[in-house]
Amino acid sequence: MVLIALNNIYKIYNVGGEEVRALDGINLEIKENEYLAIMGPSGSGKSTLMNMIGCLDTPSSGVYQFEGEMVQEMDDDQLASIRNRKIGFVFQTFNLLPKATAQHNVEIPLIYGNIRKNERIKMASKALIDVGLADRMHHKPNELSGGQRQRVAIARALVNSPSIILADEPTGNLDSKSGHEIMGILDQLHQRGNTIILVTHEDNIAQHAHRVIRLFDGKITEDSKVKSE
Amino acid sequence: MILLFIENLFISLSSVFANKTRSILTALGIIIGVVSVTMMGTLISGLDKTFENSMSWLGKDILYVSRYEWFGDMEWWEVRNRPRIRPEYVDKIKVRSKYALAVAPVMQRGASLSYGEKETRTEIFGTNEDYMETITTNIVQGRFFSKNEDRSGSRVTVIGDGIKEAFFGDQDPIGKYIKIDNIKFRVIGVLEKQGKFLGLFSVDKQAILPIGAYNRIFSKRGWMRLSIKIPENKIEEGLDEISSVMRHIRGLKPNQKNDFAINQTKAFEKNYNTLKLAIGGTGTFITLLSLIVGGIGVMNIMFVSVKERTREIGVRKAIGATKGMILGQFLMEAVLICLIAGLIGLLISYIFSILLNKIFPSTMDIWLATFSILMSIVVGVVSGLIPSYRAANLDPIDSLRYE
Repeated sequence: MVLIALNNIYKIYNVGGEEVRALDGINLEIKENEYLAIMGPSGSGKSTLMNMIGCLDTPSSGVYQFEGEMVQEMDDDQLASIRNRKIGFVFQTFNLLPKATAQHNVEIPLIYGNIRKNERIKMASKALIDVGLADRMHHKPNELSGGQRQRVAIARALVNSPSIILADEPTGNLDSKSGHEIMGILDQLHQRGNTIILVTHEDNIAQHAHRVIRLFDGKITEDSKVKSE
Repeated sequence: MILLFIENLFISLSSVFANKTRSILTALGIIIGVVSVTMMGTLISGLDKTFENSMSWLGKDILYVSRYEWFGDMEWWEVRNRPRIRPEYVDKIKVRSKYALAVAPVMQRGASLSYGEKETRTEIFGTNEDYMETITTNIVQGRFFSKNEDRSGSRVTVIGDGIKEAFFGDQDPIGKYIKIDNIKFRVIGVLEKQGKFLGLFSVDKQAILPIGAYNRIFSKRGWMRLSIKIPENKIEEGLDEISSVMRHIRGLKPNQKNDFAINQTKAFEKNYNTLKLAIGGTGTFITLLSLIVGGIGVMNIMFVSVKERTREIGVRKAIGATKGMILGQFLMEAVLICLIAGLIGLLISYIFSILLNKIFPSTMDIWLATFSILMSIVVGVVSGLIPSYRAANLDPIDSLRYE
């Protein structure tokens, strides 16, 4: 089943009177349970593409269908809702709320999803156990290591059972051992049937994926299957 | 919605308490505003109460006929040229008026009172047996003088509670003789304790004599006024009737203006209301200013708070917060600061009003308290609105990148 279909997507910025094509006619289909890596040098448009796929941004022109819904026609609240229900973000800098416990950080998407407290606690605990943080639920981010923080972030991304998990340089701020652990968790999630999209510039990280897309100057220059599904 | 409300409350509380010094300083502006609003209100309601008490001594159903208007703007020579009020008017009015229930002539002058070694200067009043009908004070000991005592010029007197206290203390004053300007009078009654009129002068230091004796001993000259009691539900009619009776007594032609004045407590009320409006208006303006200044402080701190948490806003938006949810979060924080400040301010003014109550009647009523709390919520909403709106409309991508 096709989850994401990008059709002739353009994103054009106007910088000082000059037109900058961040995305220059992107065509891309992502199916359920794919493990995809988006690569490219800085300025290639990979962040823009990730924001587009993550429904944080809308295209200047073109058609973006997410599970058949027309994303480019949605208003801000509809975009917020689709991000809440269908997309789990994992950021390079973790982006946890510093004053809240791991448990509470994981509960936040559920609060915005209007899920009752008892249910919420159950779901958040389960997500934290899934990423191996059963004994760190009530710690605040500053009491956790980098790897543990990123695991909280992954738990937060997957707590709502989203259609895709979108990881932007998930190991960028981690030492190699923690990075390895995090990639192990993502691999596991993929095996369990999640769709994962990685944005990275590191080849060894991209190797975990089964399909690699390379971007240059807002265009897809390569789309290759690394491993067979 | 309730979930989100609780979540926002949690976020706001932790934000307010995480920046204690900042929150306290911000709240200070609102606290000062609320204290000034509530103290202003308390003061005005205290004034009201004092005024009402004082007015109740005069009585709404009493007309005061004299040469001058209480709050008139006539020149003194015009007043002086008006004919005097004469003692014989009392009987004439009683005969001609159907509304006049009681008519008491009142003359007044300063005099020296003494009892044994004790001496005091005070006001003495000469009047008739109807006088008690025209005042709201009661006799607590003894009795008032009779018509016969008045006619025969008996040297009897009814004294105020203040004189009784000063001269006799706990002793029974009835039947004792006091000297008024060195002439002996027998005390036959004591008036109830009254306190101060408009908080200015005590009405308890007075002595009332029959006008017969007053005239014989102290002079027939001096100004006289008439206190006329009319039925409470016929004040307008009574006023018209007394006016026409007076015109008839004076023999005025239809085209001639009144050469007398009929005063009512209403005149006091009108003047008091003007005064109250002036005090209240100025006060409200100043207190509103202080609340606005407080609100600006809150707005300023909210802008800082939004700026500081730009990244947090980005994260929240990325994981599904709508504009409304972000707006609610920051609005809640502003309202919370103001609400806490409002409650603190209220507590402070409550303590103030209790202390103040010892010198001036001031009690904070529940409406004023509710109003000031509502006011601080409104200030919170108004001053939080623009920063919250800005937060809600931040671009999630830019906010996520914000360092």
